[in-house]
Amino acid sequence: MHHPDRPLTGPAGVLERLGLGAIALADCLWLYLRILGGRARLDLPAFAAALRQSGLSVLPALTLVSVVLGLILGRQGEQLLAGFALPDALLISLTYAIALELLPVLIGILVAGRAGVALAVRQAGLAVSGELDGLLVNGIDPIRYTLAPTLLAMLLMSAAFAVWSLLVTGLTTWAWLWASVALGPARLVETLAHAIGPADLVGALVKPPLFALLVAPLACVNGIAAGRDPRGIARAATATMLGAIGLILVADLLYLLLIG
Amino acid sequence: MSTPSPAPTPPPALAIAGLYQHVAGRCALSDLDLTLPAGEWLLICGPNGAGKSLLSRLVLGLDHPSAGTIALFGQDLARLDGGAMRRLRRRLGAVLQGGSLLADRSVLENLLLPLRETPLRRAELARAARLVVTLLQLDGLEHHLPRALSLGQRRRVELARALIHQPDLLVWDGVADGLDPSALGEILEMLDTVRRNRALTLIATDNSPAALITHCEHALVLDHGRAVYAGPSAALRETAAARIELRAALRGWR
Repeated sequence: MHHPDRPLTGPAGVLERLGLGAIALADCLWLYLRILGGRARLDLPAFAAALRQSGLSVLPALTLVSVVLGLILGRQGEQLLAGFALPDALLISLTYAIALELLPVLIGILVAGRAGVALAVRQAGLAVSGELDGLLVNGIDPIRYTLAPTLLAMLLMSAAFAVWSLLVTGLTTWAWLWASVALGPARLVETLAHAIGPADLVGALVKPPLFALLVAPLACVNGIAAGRDPRGIARAATATMLGAIGLILVADLLYLLLIG
Repeated sequence: MSTPSPAPTPPPALAIAGLYQHVAGRCALSDLDLTLPAGEWLLICGPNGAGKSLLSRLVLGLDHPSAGTIALFGQDLARLDGGAMRRLRRRLGAVLQGGSLLADRSVLENLLLPLRETPLRRAELARAARLVVTLLQLDGLEHHLPRALSLGQRRRVELARALIHQPDLLVWDGVADGLDPSALGEILEMLDTVRRNRALTLIATDNSPAALITHCEHALVLDHGRAVYAGPSAALRETAAARIELRAALRGWR
């Protein structure tokens, strides 16, 4: 266990952070396997709280973002159709491809911004309040108390949000185009079926949970590294937000380059 | 016919050797040696900043010493991995200075924390909780959050949590914090009763030896991180009369 009074700075600190993150993630995945095998129990109150943080509290903002994105794409599509006389099939394909690429990143950032930062603050707050000591002296692995339920909630909600956002954005874009250029639903479905392959959809659905898998350990490590100084809580929150955005963008790029 | 070999001597509950601890560039504990047999009680006292809480945290494995070794029940803390440390901690109970209750969990959930990883059934958990709730006079507070309790009540909850799994060693840092003398006396009597039924080792810290001196067999007096007395508690008063530095550390206790 990292000593709360020793800062994780410098090259050794970066290595220690990476190691802590990897151990925390492995510990969580092992716990999930034990839960599936009936040999361990999930902390249900913590899981319910994490679902609220990464789910219900994010849903209004995410729905708004999806609707706005759909309206922007619809409006731009209408202008492109009017200006360049593009075939509507090509336009819809381009629009949906943008949505497939952009939405997972936005979901990742929104979920990371809420659940990731909340996790970092909770983890850092445990050390400041003495609760971390309470867990340790009672033989409870703090990672299992904080990260395990939060990561599971983030994974579930990210996947659900991916489906929800694609539906909301797609329907909003189509609604705009239907109203402006009379694009019918049959034409839309036919166009999408030709333009979007299963791999594209899988990518859009897999990426948000993948981002959650990266952001949750980052948040946990930032929380641990905050130490017992109350100012460390704010540092952990800021570092998690900024780190999560960078991590998500780099992961998205790597996904694009390596998997397509 | 071979003669039966003598039963092996059980390891001491606590064995400290050559302990040093540096905090923020200063020596907060220096050259401590201590052995506490299982089932016996140790009082650690001294003025504020003497190193009592620091020593408690080191004994519980919450901090790592700068030098020296600490062994609990024969197990060197520095050699234990995470899993072994968690298993050892299930033999320990701890009441920490400043509080360590989980803020977002009720009193009952906090009480059951040490039993989380055990295969006990719901009825057994309820029975264990009922017992410590009654012993520590926490009836009616089971579903309150810690923030709704007074300091004294929170200390009782911490003590109940530390006892619920029947630990072999109880570390109680800041014995008198939040408890009036009569309440503390009742709790110490209750712990004495527990000790008569099974070997409970106690390490308790306080500024003054007044409340605990008659209950503990051993005393360790710290001042600025150094042991100015380590020996039987029965001899503490007599030694203090003869040694000025000990009297200074005990701040007028007679």
